Amino acid sequence: MRTDDLIADLSGRLEPVAPGALTRMLATAAVLGLVCSAILMLWMLGLRHDIARAIMSFGMWTKLVYTFAIAGFGFWLVARAGRPGADMARPARFLALPVLAIALLAAAQLAAPGADMRGLVMGHSSRVCAIRVILIALPTLAATFWALKRMAPTRLTLAGIGAGLFAGAVGGFVYSFHCTESSAPFIGIWYSLGIVLTAGIGGLLGRDLLRW
Amino acid sequence: MIAQEAQYRDWMLAALMGDAGAYRKLLQGLTRHLRSYYARRLDVAAAEDAVQETLIAIHARRATYDPALPFTAWVYGIARYKLIDEYRRHKRRATVPLDEAGELFGHDEAEEAIARRDVSKLLDRLPPAKRQLVKDIKLDGVSVAEAAKRTGMSESSVKVTVHRALKSLAEDLRDGKDR
Repeated sequence: MRTDDLIADLSGRLEPVAPGALTRMLATAAVLGLVCSAILMLWMLGLRHDIARAIMSFGMWTKLVYTFAIAGFGFWLVARAGRPGADMARPARFLALPVLAIALLAAAQLAAPGADMRGLVMGHSSRVCAIRVILIALPTLAATFWALKRMAPTRLTLAGIGAGLFAGAVGGFVYSFHCTESSAPFIGIWYSLGIVLTAGIGGLLGRDLLRW
Repeated sequence: MIAQEAQYRDWMLAALMGDAGAYRKLLQGLTRHLRSYYARRLDVAAAEDAVQETLIAIHARRATYDPALPFTAWVYGIARYKLIDEYRRHKRRATVPLDEAGELFGHDEAEEAIARRDVSKLLDRLPPAKRQLVKDIKLDGVSVAEAAKRTGMSESSVKVTVHRALKSLAEDLRDGKDR
């Protein structure tokens, strides 16, 4: 086909694009992913039994705010990763904020007089925390990849890492409703490990799966 | 800031609202940049394929353009992605330098203008009838049969005339008569 004919053909079937349509598509996929992750968590583990009381506790809110902040900046990162020429450095820098906050809080809790360091760091579920976060994150990772592939990622590994960060943080957020841990050092280490590993999986898979 | 940014961005914004005329002008303009971008990086056949693939990608992914961001950077991002894709497909180990959008929208304009000027200067040295024939057939893609009909010459004499005209121009160039 001659290039001129191609141009005539493409402009002949041009349809207007609704502003914000792309972000809506990505947001829809993210919400669907979150719902699937929540269903998976409820089916696999279930809510913690003292959820009604725990929902108001400081530990619960530490988990929710930390993971929600990473998910939020992760979503922003994905939205930019899917747009050619958009710079990803800014959302990536913002990701340092929740990490810094949890590190400070963890340091404060560890430095408090009479703190049980081992208990604060290891809790009672450190061996299963990261792997559960990853498992719960997988539906969200799949949904985010699905949406990202319909955008136009040009740096596939980075885009995959962004999707993994977002999905991992959603996984952590959802897992918070089962997990009874509440110390900042535990959350800062084991939740973060789950999120970082999900990001790594996203990066490895993104290279091939995000091609368009 | 790249010179064409404002014009292309305007066309793109109109295209996103469904203006086919602006869209056609945009794609035609971008085609020139893409041709010279890929011509410097791929062989001839692959370059034209890459141009078309990129135009199709621009069309299919046009919703990913965010009006708050530079349009030229968006196009460059897609062009570079398609170049890497092309390298990958041919299993060629190639490094794509981390150049910037300026690479796509840079010197090609100037190069093209110089080439056009050189060609027309050269053609001016032919007698008008021959000049018209060479221009029609070699530059504008008119078929020999069509040119023959227009001039009332036979097809074979059109071919011979063009051939001789080009040969004389080539000799001129070799002898350095263009100084």
